[in-house]
Amino acid sequence: MNPADVAQSALPIASTDLSIWGLFLSAHWVVKSVMLGLLACSIWVWAIAIDKTLLYMRTRRAMDRFEQSFWSGQSLEELYRSLSSRPTHSMAALFVAAMREWKRSFEGQSRSFAGLQMRIEKVMDVTIAREIERLERRLLVLATVGSAGPFIGLFGTVWGIMSSFQSIAASKNTSLAVVAPGIAEALFATAIGLVAAIPATIFYNKFVSDVNKQAGRLEGFADEFAAILSRQIDERG
Amino acid sequence: MRKSLAISAVLHATALLWGLISFNAAPFEPSEAPSIPVDFISATDFSKLTAGTKDAPKAETQKPRVEKVAEKKPDPEPAQKIAEKPEIVTSSTAEPPPTPETKKPEPKAKPVPQAAESKPEKTEKVEQKTDPIAEALKKEEAKKESEQKQADAKPTPLPPKRPAPPQPKFDASKVAALLDKRDPQRQAATGEVMNASASLGAPTGNAPELSQSELDALRARLMQLWNPPIGIQAAGTMIIRIRVILGRDRKLIGPPQVITSGKGTMYESARDSAIRAVFRAQPFDMLKSETFETWRDMEITFDPRDMFRG
Repeated sequence: MNPADVAQSALPIASTDLSIWGLFLSAHWVVKSVMLGLLACSIWVWAIAIDKTLLYMRTRRAMDRFEQSFWSGQSLEELYRSLSSRPTHSMAALFVAAMREWKRSFEGQSRSFAGLQMRIEKVMDVTIAREIERLERRLLVLATVGSAGPFIGLFGTVWGIMSSFQSIAASKNTSLAVVAPGIAEALFATAIGLVAAIPATIFYNKFVSDVNKQAGRLEGFADEFAAILSRQIDERG
Repeated sequence: MRKSLAISAVLHATALLWGLISFNAAPFEPSEAPSIPVDFISATDFSKLTAGTKDAPKAETQKPRVEKVAEKKPDPEPAQKIAEKPEIVTSSTAEPPPTPETKKPEPKAKPVPQAAESKPEKTEKVEQKTDPIAEALKKEEAKKESEQKQADAKPTPLPPKRPAPPQPKFDASKVAALLDKRDPQRQAATGEVMNASASLGAPTGNAPELSQSELDALRARLMQLWNPPIGIQAAGTMIIRIRVILGRDRKLIGPPQVITSGKGTMYESARDSAIRAVFRAQPFDMLKSETFETWRDMEITFDPRDMFRG
């Protein structure tokens, strides 16, 4: 090959810019769609993370406040009346559900103490399950992005490297100037995949442990409250 | 949820913007690699280049290429001059060719003994005027002296004095031009006389040579046909060299001769198999007729290690 021809063929490749925007624009449409999908994943992951952080903070504060007022010696009837007027969450919801079952058993025509203990426990179990479901919602998205994000990015990388090999074949030249832009754009896809996946994994692990902690706290309260109600039943019956 | 989604989107937008600004890398401009024009020549072409030509202009004497003056090295392979052959005289030729004159080197008189002999003559002439007894005595003494001198005098002539090389005149303004700007690590060729021109061709340059493709084709053919016994032990001792003489029709002229020798039934069967392979490989179509001189008589090596290396 004539050296002048080589220099000429290298000229258009030489003018590629390796900025983020340039890398995105020069990518194949498959790689582009992978990049955009991963960017959307990242946005969604961070939105969930912010949402959950705020939710758990709120839940913890509400639990603290409820426990304080529950153990302050206030009568349970008054507490029930003040809480049942508006929709409640977590521990308050547990308390309201149990109290409602208790009141229904006492204020109805037929006083049925026989299965009251069991009924209260069932109601509280259902409420705990509903509360945990509310806390855990959308955490699966984080897990999915955390595990699949690198693979999606790797797919974009493989596609980009394929296209860079095709450019080698087209220009019949293996110099770095021919290969480098394709490989850089391909690696950019993996980079975005990792950027989306790493926070997703970290947040998922943190949130799962938070949910477990709060579920344990709810169950502890449920047991305690069931014990109190059981003592009341035995005293009255 | 909607609020946090908005917050997340804003965060990503700022991160991307920051990346666009801070990672605005300098445009990738590959430096143009200097292109080196390369011509491929085969080993055969190279030996053709070094072979020299018969019709090259005759130089006085091809002196070795020399850049420094040093003592002459002994010629490792002194080229022997071909003696001129006298033409064959037949009856048809009218005049007999002039016989080459043979100059016999005349033995030159040695300078030292001559001088020694001249001395006693002079003394004789001087002594003639004096009395004969003293003359006889001195004659004897002089004879003894001259004999002694003759014995002492070295028979070898003194080597001719070399003319002193012209001393270059010192010119301060030309010092810069005289400086050697070449690489100091360079190995300069040394010789008796300075000579900057390369020789026309190497005396051992051989133009017609079997090219590698021909050799490889021949080797592949023979290796394909050769079946050494399976389970050869000490394959290094099983190397068989066979001398093959071929005719212009690329077929064997005589039976192939085994040059190497060995013992054992394994060796014998390997050797017989190699001979069979040579017979079966006829005619050797891969050899070109231009290189007949090189493949007319050749030695082929059968090495089982080559077989098993694949």
